[in-house]
Order: sequence, then C-alpha cells, then structure tokens
Amino acid sequence: MSHLHCITVVLDDKLVTLNAAVGLLRRRNLPVRSVTFGPHVAEGRSRLFAMIEADEGAAQRVALLFEKLIGVDEARVVPAADTVARELALIRIRAQAESYGELLDVLGLYHANVLEEGPDGLVVELTGPDTFVLSCLRAVERFGIVDVARSGAVAIERPAESPRAPTSTEASVP
Amino acid sequence: MAEILTGAQLMCRVLLEEGVDVMFGYPGGAIMPFYHALPEFPGLRHILVRHEQAAAHAADGYARASGRAGVCVATSGPGATNLVTGLACAYMDNSPVVAITGQVSRPMMGRDAFQETDIIGVTLPITKWSVLVEDISTLADTMRRAFAVALEGRPGPVLVDVPKDVQNQRIEYTPRAAAPVRRATPVADAAALDAAAGLIARAERPLILAGHGIILGNASEDLRIFAEHTGIPVITTLLGISAFPEDHPLHLGMPGMHGEVHVNRAIQHADLLIAVGMRFDDRVTGNTAGFARNAKIVHIELDPTEIGKNVPVEVPLVGDAGPILSALTRALAPRSCTSWWEEIDASRRPQYEQFKGDIAPEAILRALHDASGGRCSIVADVGQHQMWVAKLFPYRRLNTHFSSGGLGAMGFAVPAAIGVHLARPDEPVWAISGDGGFQMNMQEMATMVQEGLPIKLAIFNNGYLGMVRQWQQFFHGRRYSATPIWSPDYVKLAEAYGIAGYRVEQGVQIAGAVEAALRDPGPALIEFVIEQEANVYPMIPPGASLSEVIETAPAPEPASA
Repeated sequence: MSHLHCITVVLDDKLVTLNAAVGLLRRRNLPVRSVTFGPHVAEGRSRLFAMIEADEGAAQRVALLFEKLIGVDEARVVPAADTVARELALIRIRAQAESYGELLDVLGLYHANVLEEGPDGLVVELTGPDTFVLSCLRAVERFGIVDVARSGAVAIERPAESPRAPTSTEASVP
Repeated sequence: MAEILTGAQLMCRVLLEEGVDVMFGYPGGAIMPFYHALPEFPGLRHILVRHEQAAAHAADGYARASGRAGVCVATSGPGATNLVTGLACAYMDNSPVVAITGQVSRPMMGRDAFQETDIIGVTLPITKWSVLVEDISTLADTMRRAFAVALEGRPGPVLVDVPKDVQNQRIEYTPRAAAPVRRATPVADAAALDAAAGLIARAERPLILAGHGIILGNASEDLRIFAEHTGIPVITTLLGISAFPEDHPLHLGMPGMHGEVHVNRAIQHADLLIAVGMRFDDRVTGNTAGFARNAKIVHIELDPTEIGKNVPVEVPLVGDAGPILSALTRALAPRSCTSWWEEIDASRRPQYEQFKGDIAPEAILRALHDASGGRCSIVADVGQHQMWVAKLFPYRRLNTHFSSGGLGAMGFAVPAAIGVHLARPDEPVWAISGDGGFQMNMQEMATMVQEGLPIKLAIFNNGYLGMVRQWQQFFHGRRYSATPIWSPDYVKLAEAYGIAGYRVEQGVQIAGAVEAALRDPGPALIEFVIEQEANVYPMIPPGASLSEVIETAPAPEPASA
C-alpha cells in the first residue's frame, strides 16, 4: 500500500554526492513530494530529506540504493506519520498604513515574528508544517506579498510512543 | 621506501599494484601526461583501439572473461563521452570496469575549455562511482578505491577523472599492496535459510533460475551440487548461460521473450522459483502481473536492493550465492522431481523454426562448436543472431558465452571479443555479429591487426536490422522502415585490413570456412549469407505474459494496415 515516507539521508557535503543522490531519486521513477537539503550536525556532513509516495518495500529499497552511493553514510525510512516535519518561511509583505494593525493581528494568529520593518514593508518568519505555512500565506495574501522564501520541510522521527497526533492534522490554524 | 613521482607515474604504479597487465585506450590532449609515463612501465600492455567505445567494451569483455577489473583509458571531452555506451553496458551487466579519463587542467575547469566535458555528471547514473581527483594527495587512494568499488558487491564500472595538471604534479609515493576487496554480506540469516529449505522440501514443481551471479560469484559448482541433490530443473538466463553445463540432464534452457515454450510453460506452472543471482529483467518475466502466478519465489541475491524490485519475493536470501546454495544443500534431504520432469518433458516441442536454404543458424553454430570441440569462447552482439547464439550452441564450459544483456548494445561483440581474447589468449574467441552490429564497431579489425590479436569474426548477414525487422513484421504491419541495411563486400574489407576473409553462401561451405578461419594464425572473418527474413521463434510479444507465445509469423495484413 502506497503512502508517504520520509527518507533521511546523511551524506558528505560534496556537491557531486548531492547530485548523485538527487539523480537516484529522479531515476527510480517514484513520486517525490519534496526534497530538502542542509547541513548535518556532524562536521563535513549534510542531510537530505525526501518525502516520497511509495509502498514500504519500495521506500526501503530507495534507502538501500542511497546507501550504495559512495559518500552516503546512512539512509533511513520513516513513515511520514511517525515524523515531526517543519519548514521555515520568510515572507516579505508590503506595508500599508491603513491595514497595518490588521496585518499584525493575522501574523499573531500564526505566531509569525516580524524580523525587519521598513517604510515599504516588513519581513516575517514563520515555522510550521507545510500546510500551516500555506495557510498563513493565503491569509496574508491580500496585504500584498512581495516575496516568499520557503526552506522546504525538515523532519525528525517522533519519540517512541509519542502521544502526539500525526503532523498532517496539526496543520489547522490555531 | 618513498620516492617522488608525477601523478601520471603514480597512476601507472597503482595499476600495477592492482594487478593490471593490460588496458584499452586512446590518447588525447588531457591524458597525455599519463601516456608520456606509460612506456616507463612495460608491465602495462596498452591496446590502442580505434574508438573509445571499443575500449570500454574491451575492458568489459576482459573483466567478464577474467573475473578481474578491466581498465580503459580516454582523454577528456569526446574521448570520455565515447566511453559512455560501454560503461552503461558494464553497469547493466555488473562487469567490473575501471575507466580513467583525462580532464582539462584545474584552472581551466568550468570555463567550457577545449575538450572539457563534465564526464562526472554524464556518468553518475551509469557507474557505481564517478570521481574527480581534485588533488594529487588523494590520487593513489582514489585509484585503489576505484578498483575495490568496481569489484565488491554486485560489480560494476567506476570512472576516475584526472585533470591534466594533477597528472603533472609531483608527490612522494609509498608503494602499497592492493587493498582486499570488501566482501558483501555473509550467508543469509538462519531463519530465512530454514524457511527457504522448507519451501524447497515441500515444493512439487520447483525450478532454479540461474543468472549471471552464478558466474560472478564462482558458484557454478555449488549450483550443480544443489541441483543434483534436489533434482530441480535449472533454467539459465541470457547472462546465466554457461553457468551450468547444457549437456547436464537437469539443464532446461533459457526463459523469457525468446525462451523455449516448454521452459516458459514450466515457469508458469511452477509452484516454487529459486532465483539465484538474477534480477527478474522484463525480458525474463514478460508482464510481471502474469508471471509465475502459481509460484512462490526464493531469491538468492547479493544486493538487497534487487529484492522485490520487479516481482514479490517470499523468502529473500541476501548474500553470496555459493555459500547459500551449499547451506541449502546441507539443510535438505536428497529428493527428486520425477513427475515434474515428466510433465515438463511432455510439453517439449519439436523444432519449429524453419529456415529457408541450408545456411541455418543451427548449422553455423554446430560448425563453430565442432571445429574446436566446444573449446572456444563466444561473444555475441545484439539482435536475432544473439538469440540463436544463446540457444543453439551447447555451452558446456563455464563462462564461455558473453552477451550485452541488460543494455543490449549493438556493436558490443567485436571489441568485447578483444578483451575476452586478452584474458584467454590460448583458446579461440568468436565474435558473432549481425550485419548491423558489425558495422557499428568493425573499425576494431585494425586494432586486431596492429596488436596481433587472432580473433575470429562471424557475421550473420541477412541485409536487415533483423530483430527490428521481425518486430515490424509482427507488430507494425510489415512496414520495414529503415531496417534494410547495405553492407560492404566483407571479403574485400577483410582483405583491405590484411586479414583472411571468407563468404559462405551454401551450407557445404560452412565447415570448411570455419576450419580455415581457425587455422589462420591471425584474425579472420567469415560472412554467412543467411535467409533475409528469418525470424526468432518462439517469441513473447513485448508487454505480454509468458503464456502468450508467438510460434509462427502472423499472416500479412491487408495493404491498408
């Protein structure tokens, strides 16, 4: 049965290894929902997260294929439901004096922080599951979005027996 | 004892330490420092090919025949890109090839310099490892690791790209013995072995599907003992041919798209498949939805990523084929499969391929066999003749059949035979091609002449790209689009290259030409003028299940079709 899996790959920080890893995902002809890449805590290592739609066996095979690449230390598969996933969005919004207060109220609902403020707008940061980020973007759209930078999701496995509901249901606006 | 070497000298030294004695290559600007150093190392024989694709296929052929890594060398840019087909072929068929390419000097990289190609980017999907040597301090270890990676696990090609200025750098060098190849997983876990043994003991209609892994893993003796202990019929895949002696009473034949009807029928009626060192290629399975629906599958395989990739597996046994087969032999009481054999034998068909004229593929392959008493290696190209070569020669000796299986690369046979000959200089090597594939790499006759390589070339000339024509006949309303192919006068061509050439147009000429070619001390060529529209039967149409077999040509469709 096909469902969403998070594959976490620890690899060296060489671009050629990233190239090979992304090439592997592309070549195996599986639906890839998202790929994000960033530094790992260990020196000289990076971490790649791929959300793929696949049955359990195919997801495990992709992880094993990753582990065959020279430069990859390990690859793990976790059902998306067993992970906590978050992404960061930086949003630049046009400020208009008459709606300023209303904008701050909306941002407050999403626990978004104002990082920069200037005469032609503000920059806010927002963290949450992707659906939460998208919901916030929809809510502030009418104030005039100038630009958005999204990090893509990073994910980590839940502690065993975690009572928390799956990430997907966390996405509702508070 | 340390000494100062250039990068190029260091490359040669590591090649020697890794046991390399021959390589296939072509010089050019960015690999010139390496070629400058090469004459200082007489232990490294260099075969100058006429096209880098041939260097890669020859290295592949050498690797398949010797079990050691084959080495090919090319310059940057076009030299490197010409290797690509050969590397892809080695990748698909798990052949350990180490490709060394020159690259433009580091200060020129990234500027679209003359003959600069990102060969690392090009080859990432068709190698186990593609690596740019960024500094001479890593050169020796990178080269050593390249050999280890090529040989370990499921073998495959590795590419090492060395910028010209790195080849000219100097460094203190300390010799080191070749690193032992890391062996993959040991014998599969005991519970899985028990489960497999239980399935085998209870099976009423079991089959063994033996693939290339038997040859790569030196497991043919373990396979024979296991098969004799259990009486289970042995099917050999295209690359598994010559892993099990074909005159053995337990040998059944080749499965799949051009497998014999009784072989495919046995698969469809089996209740257990014991697959060893094979990967359920679609040319073996046909449509997987209809493949062996009554059978459970025990998959013995070195590479865990192959398990369940194409077909669901009941019991995976991950590890070396040989030890796993012997463990299964020990775990099982001797048994036989008498009634299953009776069922299979009852479904055997008489020969249904009817060739017009008397130069039938059977007659040619029988003559090749008889002339050397079977003591020869056969390298096939790709197409109709490839299937005849696979099915009509009785392979009794281990690892004597070579074919581009996974990639199906036309042009493989002639250069790969060069590599096979260098691994086995003491017995005849036949490169068998169609008139299409031969013309893809026939320039390598010059290599054979210059290097004194007495390879025997056989061309099955039907004036068509025969397998494509056959598909056009069966599935495209006989529209022979771009498949008629003109050939030069091959006897005159042979003469131009200074080698013996024979044209065989009548059956009575076959044996004489074959014997004359074998007697000739140098390379020799025989053109067999075969029936133009001969077909390979039986055939499973692409996308169909193994039960939907074509045994005769379809009636011609109306002209409007």
